[in-house]
Amino acid sequence: MVEKQAVLDIISAALKETLDQQGLPPPASITEDTVLVGKDATLDSLGVVSLIVEVEQALEQQHQVAVTLASDKAMSAKNSPFRTVGVLAEHVLETIKEEEEAARG
Amino acid sequence: MTTWLLERMEAWRDAPALVWADVHASYGDLLDAVAQWQVELDRQALGAGSVVVIEATFSPKACALLLALLERRAIAVPVTPGQRVHLEEFQGIAHAQATVHIADDDTFTVARHAPTGTHALTEKLRALGHAGLVIFSSGSSGAAKAVLHDFEALLEKFRTPRQKKCVLTFLLFDHIGGIDTLMNTLANGGTVVTTPSRDPEVVCALIAKHRVHTLPTSPTFLNLLLLSEAWQRHDLSSLQVIAYGTEPMPQPTLTRLAEVFPNAKLVQTYGLSELGVLRSRSRPDGSLWLSFSNEGFETQVRDGLLWVRSPAAMLGYLNAPDLFDGEGWLNTQDAVEVDGPWLRVLGRVSDLINVGGQKVYPAEIEAVVMSMPNVADVAVYGEKSPLTGQFVAARVNLVEPEPLDVFKRRLRAFCRERLAPYKIPVRIELTEDRQFSARFKKLRSPTS
Repeated sequence: MVEKQAVLDIISAALKETLDQQGLPPPASITEDTVLVGKDATLDSLGVVSLIVEVEQALEQQHQVAVTLASDKAMSAKNSPFRTVGVLAEHVLETIKEEEEAARG
Repeated sequence: MTTWLLERMEAWRDAPALVWADVHASYGDLLDAVAQWQVELDRQALGAGSVVVIEATFSPKACALLLALLERRAIAVPVTPGQRVHLEEFQGIAHAQATVHIADDDTFTVARHAPTGTHALTEKLRALGHAGLVIFSSGSSGAAKAVLHDFEALLEKFRTPRQKKCVLTFLLFDHIGGIDTLMNTLANGGTVVTTPSRDPEVVCALIAKHRVHTLPTSPTFLNLLLLSEAWQRHDLSSLQVIAYGTEPMPQPTLTRLAEVFPNAKLVQTYGLSELGVLRSRSRPDGSLWLSFSNEGFETQVRDGLLWVRSPAAMLGYLNAPDLFDGEGWLNTQDAVEVDGPWLRVLGRVSDLINVGGQKVYPAEIEAVVMSMPNVADVAVYGEKSPLTGQFVAARVNLVEPEPLDVFKRRLRAFCRERLAPYKIPVRIELTEDRQFSARFKKLRSPTS
């Protein structure tokens, strides 16, 4: 079981890493409300791709769970699962749950 | 008529033709072996137009069989033991009548196959009364394509006499480059030195022992050669030409080669299973630009892709639609950049990565990553993303162990100064597996 706080920590670290890669300063603070995409976005589309890969790799390394966060289903959802840090964390937990259930059959 | 080749060989009877392990076969030995094969092929009733698979490496007997099939206008299908898992499939695609298996001790066995029909292109070749050659091209994706050549048309370019050289056959017996090396060397009275392995240490020892002049190879091997430092342990002063083709050369590897081999000419060749090897010359500035000789073939660039028209081009594929247009031009599917008479090969269109509509060629990114300290090898490929279509991913072999996080940060910082943001690898993985095929060609699949 992966805790929400652990996921938030991973996203926060991944966001700092991604911003650093793009040569952008880290935000003063990262909270669940920090906007990732859309209006007042922190990241461009390539940045979002980077962030997602970072989060996927960290989940695999730290929690041994392999998930695909940017699925077609996630992309076509009415509300983007990548809007804010908090929404993304929920999406991560949801995806882990779904894939575990699928694995259990 | 192909007898010109065998006639020429007669004039060199006492000269060394082939070095295979401890066996030194002279031109006379090869020609005698060809005569023996003719008796055997007659006995087997494998006449003109027969399709014969040769499962072998570059042994004297295998080379003689290839020449014997050429002389009797049969169709030769060279396959190496490494492809054994595909042997039955290849026999079927080529509609082979027989397979000659030549063992490591140069003894042979012949297996006959039940008739399985024929192919329209094979019939066309038989009607011409010409010898044939079938090459199975590995292709970067999917099943192997069977390329049917008019063997005599393919060899026509070797009629022009050139310098006699001692050449190491790095490329394999079933590879267009390997056949090109063999025939080019034999057509000029040179010596072919075969190698049992493509380990840099073994290759360098053979170059030193036999005073090899020419090494036709791939950028992947040259990179391995530099890393192994095998060149420091052997006297390679005989090397006059290092030729590399089969895939784009990373500029850092080329620059380093020029430092290590100041007396050898570095020559980029351009060859395809479908066309043979095209004569070209490299721009003298040590860059990757080349210019085609257009001796016996024509080249054109359409929409950034290289097209070639040549009488030596394949007749077509035995198991795929061909790539010719109505005027006989062949689409190489290689993207090129043009600078006056000079061309630079960017890579296969099928390897192209599309990041949100922007084109990325793996070779460019690989060249940058290769120039980083502590990088032994890298394969760059595209990974699917619903956001940008694809993004760039890199799988890296390190020289010394380094934590992934540290390496990732270092790679991105390095790339940021040298590449546009969309070209910088997003997914970075470390691997200890080798990232090239048995043919020393880079493997760029997302999962290896």
